[in-house]
Amino acid sequence: MIIRILLTLLAMVSIGAAQTTPELGIRDKTPTLQAFTNARIVVSPERTIENGTLVVEDGRIVAVGDDITIPDGAAIHDLTGKTIYPGLVEPISQYGLPKAEQPERRRGGPPQYEAERVGADAWNEAIHAEHSWIERFAPDAKEAEEYLDLGFATVQTARLDGIFRGRAAVVMLGKGLPNEQVLQPYGHHLASFDKGSSTQQYPNSLMGSIALIRQTLLDIGWYDRAASAFARNPEQERPETNRALEALQGVRTDGLIFETENDLDLLRAARIGEEFSVPMILVGSGYEYRRLDQVKATRSTLILPIEYPEAPSVTAIGDEYDVSIADLRHWEWAPFNPYLVDSAGIDFAFTTHRLKKKSHFWKHLRTAIEAGLPKEAALRALTITPARIAGVADQVGTLEAGKVASFMVTDGDLFDRETERFGIWVAGELTHEMIPLEQTDFRGEYALSLRERDLTLTLRGDIDKLKGKLSFDDHAIKLQSLETELELVRFMAELDTLGIPGVTRFTGALTDSGLAGIYHTPDGIEHRFSALRTGDAPDTPDTAKVRVAERLSRLTSPNIAFGFTELPEQQTVLVQNATIWTCDEAGVLEDADMLCRDGRIAAIGTDLEAPDNALVIDASGMHLTPGVIDEHSHVAISGNVNEGTHAVTAEVRIGDVVDPADINVYRALAGGTTMARLLHGSANPIGGQAQLVKFRWGGTAEEMKMTEAPPSIKFALGENVKQSNWGDNMTIRYPQTRMGVETIMQDAFQAAREYEQARTEYAELGRGERERMIPPRQDLQLDALVEVVNNDMWVCCHSYVQSEMLMLMRLAEKFDFTIGTFTHVLEGYKVADEMAAHGAGAGSFSDWWAYKFEVYDAIPQNPCLLMERGVVTSVNSDSPELGRRLNQEAAKSIAYCDMSQEDALKMVTINPAKQLRVDRYVGSLAEGKHADFVLWNDNPLSIYAVAQQTWIDGRKYFDIERDKTMRRDLAEEKRRLIQKVLDADGSSSNSGSHTTGSHGPYDQSTSMPRCCMPSQGGF
Amino acid sequence: MNRQLQILVLVACLLLAATVSAHDYVPGEPQDHPILLKGGDLYTVANGVLEGTDLLFEDGRITQIGTDLALPEGTEVIDISGKHVYPGLIDLNTQLGLIEIGAVRATNDITERGRTTPEVKAYIAYNPDSELLPSVRSNGITTALVVPGGSLIRGRSSLMNLDGWTWEDAAEKPIAALHISWPRTRVITAWWMDQSAEEQKEQMAKNRRELVDMFDKAHAYSIAKQADPDLPKDIRWEAMAPIFTDDLPVFIEANDYRQIEQAIAFAEKWKLNVVITGAREAWRAADMLTEHDIPVIVSRTQNMPLRSDDDYDIAFKQPALLQQAGVRFAISASSSWGTRNLPWHTGMAVAFGLTPEMALRSITLTPAEIIGVADDLGSLEVGKKATLFVSQGDVLDYLEHGVELMFIGGAAVDLSNKHKELYEKYRQKEYPVEAAE
Repeated sequence: MIIRILLTLLAMVSIGAAQTTPELGIRDKTPTLQAFTNARIVVSPERTIENGTLVVEDGRIVAVGDDITIPDGAAIHDLTGKTIYPGLVEPISQYGLPKAEQPERRRGGPPQYEAERVGADAWNEAIHAEHSWIERFAPDAKEAEEYLDLGFATVQTARLDGIFRGRAAVVMLGKGLPNEQVLQPYGHHLASFDKGSSTQQYPNSLMGSIALIRQTLLDIGWYDRAASAFARNPEQERPETNRALEALQGVRTDGLIFETENDLDLLRAARIGEEFSVPMILVGSGYEYRRLDQVKATRSTLILPIEYPEAPSVTAIGDEYDVSIADLRHWEWAPFNPYLVDSAGIDFAFTTHRLKKKSHFWKHLRTAIEAGLPKEAALRALTITPARIAGVADQVGTLEAGKVASFMVTDGDLFDRETERFGIWVAGELTHEMIPLEQTDFRGEYALSLRERDLTLTLRGDIDKLKGKLSFDDHAIKLQSLETELELVRFMAELDTLGIPGVTRFTGALTDSGLAGIYHTPDGIEHRFSALRTGDAPDTPDTAKVRVAERLSRLTSPNIAFGFTELPEQQTVLVQNATIWTCDEAGVLEDADMLCRDGRIAAIGTDLEAPDNALVIDASGMHLTPGVIDEHSHVAISGNVNEGTHAVTAEVRIGDVVDPADINVYRALAGGTTMARLLHGSANPIGGQAQLVKFRWGGTAEEMKMTEAPPSIKFALGENVKQSNWGDNMTIRYPQTRMGVETIMQDAFQAAREYEQARTEYAELGRGERERMIPPRQDLQLDALVEVVNNDMWVCCHSYVQSEMLMLMRLAEKFDFTIGTFTHVLEGYKVADEMAAHGAGAGSFSDWWAYKFEVYDAIPQNPCLLMERGVVTSVNSDSPELGRRLNQEAAKSIAYCDMSQEDALKMVTINPAKQLRVDRYVGSLAEGKHADFVLWNDNPLSIYAVAQQTWIDGRKYFDIERDKTMRRDLAEEKRRLIQKVLDADGSSSNSGSHTTGSHGPYDQSTSMPRCCMPSQGGF
Repeated sequence: MNRQLQILVLVACLLLAATVSAHDYVPGEPQDHPILLKGGDLYTVANGVLEGTDLLFEDGRITQIGTDLALPEGTEVIDISGKHVYPGLIDLNTQLGLIEIGAVRATNDITERGRTTPEVKAYIAYNPDSELLPSVRSNGITTALVVPGGSLIRGRSSLMNLDGWTWEDAAEKPIAALHISWPRTRVITAWWMDQSAEEQKEQMAKNRRELVDMFDKAHAYSIAKQADPDLPKDIRWEAMAPIFTDDLPVFIEANDYRQIEQAIAFAEKWKLNVVITGAREAWRAADMLTEHDIPVIVSRTQNMPLRSDDDYDIAFKQPALLQQAGVRFAISASSSWGTRNLPWHTGMAVAFGLTPEMALRSITLTPAEIIGVADDLGSLEVGKKATLFVSQGDVLDYLEHGVELMFIGGAAVDLSNKHKELYEKYRQKEYPVEAAE
């Protein structure tokens, strides 16, 4: 409906040029009726008229077809030999808008925790949703030129700054008043994870951005309900006015255009969309090919930038060490991304957004086509799809009657390298002329004779930028100052070899048979010449570098060094004759067997029989232990591990930012570690929610999560949270003392209890009452804290000194819940009995101390004393380096305080499993438990023990022999890629061999593993 | 002395010491009577393992090694049958005594202001009462090179015994080497880097130029000073002169391949007695290092790979790779309090291919040779200082580590430390104590 009104409006626009603006001079009444005839008209990617007519009036297409009667009085443009394409549509830009200005950061000054509130806006400066960017739109001729030059006639525009960025407008690139350019004043809301120019502290992590988005999307609903309840019943506290939340009301139906930085962020944005039923249009990164199936499963439309990485510099020996396999692969694969996305059946539009240079757009696009992208798909991604994304598909994107007359004229296939774009018409007006339509095409070969000698005149190159020569026998004379001027061509030449010394100048024009004109010889005498056209100009040799040839690299999962080409399969496996450290009552079994089936331990004993098809491992002389569990890890996390801004950030979730492509996961597996609790950092008293993962290398973020575990959350105490070592500026956040740490926690728990009660009371109201009462606003932070005080979410608390540990236990007891684990717990030995009585576990550093004042009393005998007093004790890593040899960290307790070997091993197996509340599944070797185990070549507590194989769920994720093969393969792959880069560097002279070969660029089934074929399942 | 007895002695010491404040481990008195370690397995380093062999030391030096030794009168015989005897371990890259608590600035004396500070000497700031020292030596480390920090020409290091009343008392070699941090050569492409590759390369070239300039000046000074000893003294260049005239070792901290490559070329040009420290990618430059016979001090084998594509165990196995290539190397924990992990860094390398003999050599005799004290330290040989210790078993393995006796220059070292004391203290705590609230 709106669209129709707009169309009508548009039609009326051109009746009188300015509708509300007073005309201050003579009114313009130039007729607008035009007919473009004899053209090849590409109406849409599906429909082309070979010889047709396009009739345009008042900025609209009146008619299009091959059988059109040209209306009387139309201005006629004969476009014989030319093609008309729809004007392109740019789905995301900042055209005609002021760029975001970053207020001068308060360098060295105190942090900014609160926003400056203007106009009843959002509490966070990264939220600009209250802006509709039409309010600031002003056409910008210079910027428009850049887009027009590429063939764009329409853009969607918004200021691309912040997390909620406000509403886009869809405008044309024509000249004149902004009022006349608008196709859709209120387009999509845009969003991203990037806080942009905001100088406010929160959020400073990816997970913080996600939490802010989540809370905002929740608030939209609450705001609406609160307003209606207040309208019904004003006898209650007035709900605040919040223009950002007001503006976002329609987002659940209209959706968001969400800009992302990489494939993982794209999937994260899609998950948010799914969680809140917000349709997402996702701006991609060029990395989509790495996770095509997952990207496809989002069922979102993509907006694809078309930037390719530059080849790394590897000219000097040693340079190659600075370049990773992942970067080299991306260099090689990036041009294939559009083709692969299209082949996967993913709906997408192209954008010039994020190109380092917009002028690279066509070069990159043609490369994508050379890499296999069908031209129809490319055209759709430049016209119909972006028009649909921008909500103006019934106005632009095709050349159908009734639509806006925005189109471009070329002399051939838009995507061919040789094709010229002549000009672009916006709403019926020639807005940007590249080459005059009237420009005569002089290109060709001509025969002429001068001084009784037969010569060949060759004119070639671009229609408006000719190159040429005069040749005879073996001689060639280069034409200089070659210029075209509509009907005339001018050049000069040194004709010494023809016996005319000096410079001779020519002017010519086309005739029916060829070219004729005059020339002046150096002696000043005018002569006439006449040349007979003999044929077309030879093709310009294609000197452009084409590196799309053959992909030498593989895709792996994840697509970095040591990624898997195939995921490990679940196997029935029998380990024989091992020393089995069960880590439960059975103790250590010599010369024993273990059978695993369906991902579980089926039996442990002696002389077990191997089922059919079982893999049998002779582990004579080897040691078998449960998979090592790390109670405290920060690997596999995207972005900052701290939302280190507010003192309480229980709303943020590590689970939102699990990074399955962290090489430290593989390294941990190589050290026998199968599982870890990924924790928020220790920058605030109440941090974020943790995520337990199994190190299922090659899996997705979701596949890595261990779903059997109850949730847990990070707390922290002491110097970090009171900001003791953060510098002199960081002194304004509450708390600054251990006293304040206690009170802010107390306040949070109290708020959680009261919130829970308010929510319960509201839920118990009758329906009518509920409609009259403003509902308690759902607060993700308090939701988490309610779980904490109800012992549904276990606290893992970073802690050093005894007083603060005692404090937290007593505080928790007051609120009637139990602290799960004190982590680091360096003075735990001073309050071991209190911890045992409270029921808290201890996850200790093995031997760290002296790095700050609060650890000056840390002792390496801490785990021993804690164990002696009955505290469930583990040793933790907090570091990817320790996290891959936790068995050794446990063994330090043998060295420092004579802990028994079995107890020591339990500190990295069953004890952390207990702390994580997953000891029913993992942590020891017993029938029915998960088949997570490690084979070692020596006593696992010895420094000489090296993990040989690491299994999770009956799948072999690490094998020291396979690792050797991977190293060899990677070295060979890298060697070849480096050679390819070097070759590409110096290849301009022999580019012929680099053009797409007979086997085609994308038919490389051998170099393309199963995982990456769009149609296949897998990663 | 068995472990139980040791603990008893320790407790007795604690009780005695209870009235004295803070750190009161009394430095060992000079040896006043001959001591025989009887029946231990001697890890001599110089002459293999001598099982069940006696070792006699007098006046601070080893005088006899063998069986059925003729003992001087008044010899104290300590039966250590079944235990291991090692030369004291040496770490050539530490900040011991220069820093107490990392985050407390007042306790940090590692780095002087300025990029070129060759004039500073580590021993000046060495705190012999640091609580870190007893914790380190109780793991077998007797001797440490204490190294100033800095971003270019850092200053001069001092070789210290980890038991002494004052820095004068503790200094084994007050001026041991000059230390340089090689300018960065690696282009960083991580998300947080805001400089382009070109800008980074420009900065790197500038830093390298600066180093060359400083050497030009120091060298010019050295030549001029030799010609005319009465020239005014520049204490910076004065400090550097011995690298040109007396072969004072120059330790260059260089980690990635290109830093090492450049440092080697630099050392060749200036004919320096050079040692590469840090050396995380020495394995890539192994041939160059052997060709020029440049020793290497490998920092931390228990470390992450330098680059994302490296083998997971590259740091673990680097010593083995260097051994195979014939590079001379020592292993260092490169830390302050973490110096006590030196045995584990070394054992780790054994797990990944280093021979046990070379492993032990890399923390005893090789570092002694590199720093020029091999006549006194680094092996169990007659004539050398009795700087040695007795452990339960294999000192490189968690399962058998357990240092029971230690002597530095014949003086018995108190093996107690703050940690052992706190452990004992809190083992005495009883529960329940009345809750405060």
